[in-house]
Amino acid sequence: MDTSSARREPVFELRRVSKSYPGVVALDAMDFAVYPKEIVGLVGENGAGKSTLMKILVGLVQPDSGSLHLRGERVTLVDPAAAVRYGVGMVFQEGSLVPNLSILENLFLCHEAGFRRAGFLKKRAMRETAERVLAEVNVHVEVDSIVSGISPALRQMVEIARLLWLSTLYKKANPILILDEPTTVLTEGERTTLFGILRTIKERASVIFISHRLQEVMENSDRIVILKDGRKVKELPAEEARLEEIERLMVGQAFSVDRYREEEQAPPRKEELLSVTKLKKKGAFEALSFGVKRGEILGLVGLVGSGKEEICKCLSGLSKADGGTVKLAGRELVPGSPSDAVASGQGHVPIDRRSEGLALNMTVAKNVNLLVLEFLKSAGLVSPKKEKANAAKWIEECRIKAPSPSTACGNLSGGNQQKAVMAKWLSSSVKLLVLDHPTRGVDVGARDDIYRLIRKLAKDGIGMVIMCDTFEEDIGLSHRLLVLKDGRLVAEVPCPPGKKPNPSDIIGLVV
Amino acid sequence: METREAIEEGRGEGEHARARRRRTPALVYSVALLAALVLLFALGNRHFLSAYNLNTIASYAAILLVVGLGQMCTILIGGIDLSVGGLMSLTAVVFVLSLRSIGYWAFPLCLVMGLLVGFLNGSILTRVRIPSFIATLGTGGIMTSLALIVSPLPIDVPAPRYGMLNIVNGSLFGMKNLLLLTLLVFLLFYVVLRLTVTGNRILFVGSNITMSWMSGIDIVKTRNLAYVLSGLGASVAAVLVSCGQFGGDPTLGNVYILTSIAAVVVGGTAMTGGSGGPVNTLIGALILGVMENGMNVVGVNAYFQQSILGAVIIVSVFLTFDRSKVSVVK
Repeated sequence: MDTSSARREPVFELRRVSKSYPGVVALDAMDFAVYPKEIVGLVGENGAGKSTLMKILVGLVQPDSGSLHLRGERVTLVDPAAAVRYGVGMVFQEGSLVPNLSILENLFLCHEAGFRRAGFLKKRAMRETAERVLAEVNVHVEVDSIVSGISPALRQMVEIARLLWLSTLYKKANPILILDEPTTVLTEGERTTLFGILRTIKERASVIFISHRLQEVMENSDRIVILKDGRKVKELPAEEARLEEIERLMVGQAFSVDRYREEEQAPPRKEELLSVTKLKKKGAFEALSFGVKRGEILGLVGLVGSGKEEICKCLSGLSKADGGTVKLAGRELVPGSPSDAVASGQGHVPIDRRSEGLALNMTVAKNVNLLVLEFLKSAGLVSPKKEKANAAKWIEECRIKAPSPSTACGNLSGGNQQKAVMAKWLSSSVKLLVLDHPTRGVDVGARDDIYRLIRKLAKDGIGMVIMCDTFEEDIGLSHRLLVLKDGRLVAEVPCPPGKKPNPSDIIGLVV
Repeated sequence: METREAIEEGRGEGEHARARRRRTPALVYSVALLAALVLLFALGNRHFLSAYNLNTIASYAAILLVVGLGQMCTILIGGIDLSVGGLMSLTAVVFVLSLRSIGYWAFPLCLVMGLLVGFLNGSILTRVRIPSFIATLGTGGIMTSLALIVSPLPIDVPAPRYGMLNIVNGSLFGMKNLLLLTLLVFLLFYVVLRLTVTGNRILFVGSNITMSWMSGIDIVKTRNLAYVLSGLGASVAAVLVSCGQFGGDPTLGNVYILTSIAAVVVGGTAMTGGSGGPVNTLIGALILGVMENGMNVVGVNAYFQQSILGAVIIVSVFLTFDRSKVSVVK
């Protein structure tokens, strides 16, 4: 198998492509090439630039600078439809089939022109083509089945089949298929099948697949590309790759001690604040028990599918566990009731601040005061004066930078929006705060403010359960880590200041 | 690409924020529209601005405002109340009939009826969990028939009871009671929405129901308040009209279903919920009142009036619709 790139022309190439968002450099003069008939494994931590790179490859996002070259000629991919016409397509992690239509209808969606005769669709021809196209990826299934009823593995195969068919429709040789975390929703057997099919597809197409499971990347790709902080740190043939080296390159050697304000990490208090006993949820996580002390920051680490997100949802009442109890300050929480959790003193800083954390068209002041209006009354009615004072206090406390307290939250930068969400909870005197990726999409300056707030909260005796974007962040902020894998608690790692574990130690436990 | 200073000052922003910044508050557009219309009609007929005519406009707009304020509450929370028409019709006949038997007690009876119907709407939405569009269409239909069952034809207030209607028909310090009562209702809605805890939450739920639920807000209680207020608005409006007409019309409410919604959205309250308020509805009611009166005073062909009104509604909603909340406008 000839993997020497020097002798081959790339089929798709990005040259010095850069992309930035306010306060964040997502891609930094990236050179990326895909060669014909190969499988490329793309790895990197969250925030490394993988999704931005993929979005540029399929035309969802336009680069700020640099150029794209497909089959030798320079191109601009204005939208995913244009990318498809060039034979480049992506299978998203969440899937993009229309759930209430059949496999047949989804396969040819928006491209039925070839089957039209006098305004009607030739159903028989469509069915035959569908069966043939699916057979090419080794799938034999009733094509009239409705998509919402078939397994995730099968849905993925339908999407792959669709992309391959579209490339033959547009007569593009060597299509490029991008698979975003294809194996998260698959069982062991289904993964083997998938990679088997990818090897067949390799004979006439190129595949880029993104995965966190380094072992499977090493076993199933021809070439591995490692991204970090928007740059390509290394690319190498899979046979030369070693697990430790990849891990090290992904998380980086330099582990800055004071980035997470470690010197401010004080030991937690003695009193038990949160106590979780034999909590379990079918399909998400098995019975586990843990506790959080006052002033303690507990980090949950694990891959997507490890169950950590579901655990946090159960803690905050956003989802009902199948068994077990959650006790906050001695009081057992009613499962599935966010209002009970909030009333007991728990707060939840969601992963998506725009759709779950704030009322964007309402002012910063209003959002910050949301939970404490009953305490801002005078003479039985809410007092605008007290509202203003409370808002001003917390805006200053959390260092929210806004033109005025009456600015709509939608107009703030991501970092300030996140601070507004935290201010809302802090103003309501929470006892325990669950933080779901608190610095996602937040610029460097605001990140430091958020770390400062987190340290202050801990010092004031507030307990926290946190999930971060990178292992570095999880380790740097937490007193203790709980490592989760496939729904089970596999390890507990202490993170005392000055003696923090290395990210490479953790990554081994997680995968 | 944002500069460091801009980010530090909190003005780092994406495309969304930039667009929203440029968007002027809806109220500015609606006030401008009102001013333009007043100017237009005043130029068309010198009697437009006479005290008598302005009073006529005010009386018409007052009714629209009262029922519109109720409707606004349900729109603010992200729903709608199509039962206001049926409730107004039912209240009109119940009011006149009970005036005959229980005299002054007819007034509080109708208010309580409005509150109860509103609570019923809210409860149905909580229990049955169907869109408010459908649920209130249903309850509205039921009340429309009930009104006709109670009294198939309009009923008159008996002459001896005329004095009781002075609560609405009289005047105080030179101002018609109708307008004073409307002002009172306006103040009530303003206070409830801006200065009570649950009233504030109506806007939050309308703006982002997921966030409200996750923050522990009692969605059921908030929704009940919105629909109770809507019932109140409709029943008060019906009482005001019946006093003025000295009788109860069992088909009174039919025209108000759509005009109450028009008053709300023309004033700049978003159909998508979460933005707008009583002042917007006030301007909206005035715009509709000015249009209705102005077109007649200026001599616009009666058959064209509906089309012109429709055009004005489209223009004002276009100016005030919050497109950032709805990715695909259906």
